[in-house]
Amino acid sequence: MTKLQAKNIVKHFDHNGNSVVALDGVNLDVQEGDFLCIVGPSGCGKSTFLNIVAGLEIPDSGEILLNGKSISTPGPDRTMVFQEGALFPWLKVIDNVEFGLKMAGIPKEERRQISQRYLDMMQLTKFADSYTYQLSTGMKQRVAIARALAMDPEILLMDEPFAALDSQTRDLLLVELQLIWERTKKTIIFVTHNISESVILGNRVVVFKNRPSKIKKEFTIDYRRPRLMEDENLQKYYHQIVEELKNEVIAQIKDESQ
Amino acid sequence: MSEKIISEKRSQSLHDAANAALFLAIFVGIWQLVFMLGIWPKISLPSPAMVAESFVKLMLNLSLPEGVGVTLGRLVASFAISVGLGTLIGLAMIRFKGFGKTLNSFSAGLLSFPSIAWVPFSILLIGFNEFGIMFVVIMSSIFSVMISTYSSIRNIPPIYIDAAKNMGARGFSLFRYVTLPAATPSLIIGLRQGWSFAWHAIIGAEILMSIVGLGHILSVGRDFLDMGEVITSMITIFTIGLIVDRFLLYKLEAKIRKKWGLDHHR
Repeated sequence: MTKLQAKNIVKHFDHNGNSVVALDGVNLDVQEGDFLCIVGPSGCGKSTFLNIVAGLEIPDSGEILLNGKSISTPGPDRTMVFQEGALFPWLKVIDNVEFGLKMAGIPKEERRQISQRYLDMMQLTKFADSYTYQLSTGMKQRVAIARALAMDPEILLMDEPFAALDSQTRDLLLVELQLIWERTKKTIIFVTHNISESVILGNRVVVFKNRPSKIKKEFTIDYRRPRLMEDENLQKYYHQIVEELKNEVIAQIKDESQ
Repeated sequence: MSEKIISEKRSQSLHDAANAALFLAIFVGIWQLVFMLGIWPKISLPSPAMVAESFVKLMLNLSLPEGVGVTLGRLVASFAISVGLGTLIGLAMIRFKGFGKTLNSFSAGLLSFPSIAWVPFSILLIGFNEFGIMFVVIMSSIFSVMISTYSSIRNIPPIYIDAAKNMGARGFSLFRYVTLPAATPSLIIGLRQGWSFAWHAIIGAEILMSIVGLGHILSVGRDFLDMGEVITSMITIFTIGLIVDRFLLYKLEAKIRKKWGLDHHR
């Protein structure tokens, strides 16, 4: 079943008085239960696309349909895990996880139960009463994932959530995220510039083309899980995507040097 | 382990207090020495003991306690109005962007405007009364509160707002649960600055406009050539300023900074 549909999304940005095309007609169907990764060179508009799906930015034209209904504002049915976590430093870990539930008007008792469950899932039980500055970067991203899942969203949006992590922590979270996906059956859109990440996580990998950005190619990765970073069988997918992206990166460097 | 930290903290603050006491002792010693050199006549520069005498006199005839009470009463009332009104205007500046931008472009002039320059205006507009004094204090501190409200909220990292909207926060709950707490550390700094402007202003206004209060004690001392009284009032002003900032506003700020981990550099 189609969970989310992007129809001909166009977005321009104003850059020093010039209009720059960030997205030039992006069409994408996301099926229920998809783990869809979007890869592309930095600045190719993939994060902009995610923000539009989240309703944080408004496209110049085109439409996003969630379960067949058009959407244009942010909503807890599409929770986002941001690159820097974006946790609230004035709240304890558990209150961060509960934030969305509180906004939804869910009673305290029930909020505690739900947030406790997701903290357990992310192995953060011990840190429920900590403040965010007391956590490592990896733990912060775990909290951010727990916070997003606690809302029980239709779609989980992830914007380069592991980009700031050291590689050991990232490898661990890559496995955890696959397990969570299998357990919760969530639909996930995951944006990254890291090709290995996309190969490990995605059952679909969509490659964004450099400006004007649109979808260049899509790969289906049908391989057992949990996939590990060191699995050599994944190399062939990796090389296919690298090949596809190589020209894009060259084009982008040319673009920027002009 | 935590006991050790607490006892270390305690010995640290004892150490600080000992240093402060030593500094004061040296200061008073030098003062006494200068007095004994007899460069100035006693009437211009009394000894520490003579000032202590003035202090006791002003305490016993209640003019000092009364002065402190009156001054603090005016100050608190005026500052409360400044905070209330300044916050409202600051929020209006956020809500109406053009208004905010325009007013903010005047901020340098408003913030650096000397409080004493409001006095003649206030005397002519309102008169030699409580409200005249309060007017000076309010005008001297309101801009600091207003501009700090505006800039504190504008400088909130947009990602907090995005994250909050993403989780369904809207309207008042967005303001109450995200905007306000996110702006708090910076708001407190604005409050401290506003308080210090108000404190400057009230003493100036009282010297020129009042018949009671700490500033008035200063001006009576001057009129009766009573340097002991002048210095007593000055020391009282210093002490109150120190206590309020150090033990109230600074404590509040430190508490929030700690909770946020702002002093936690890695």
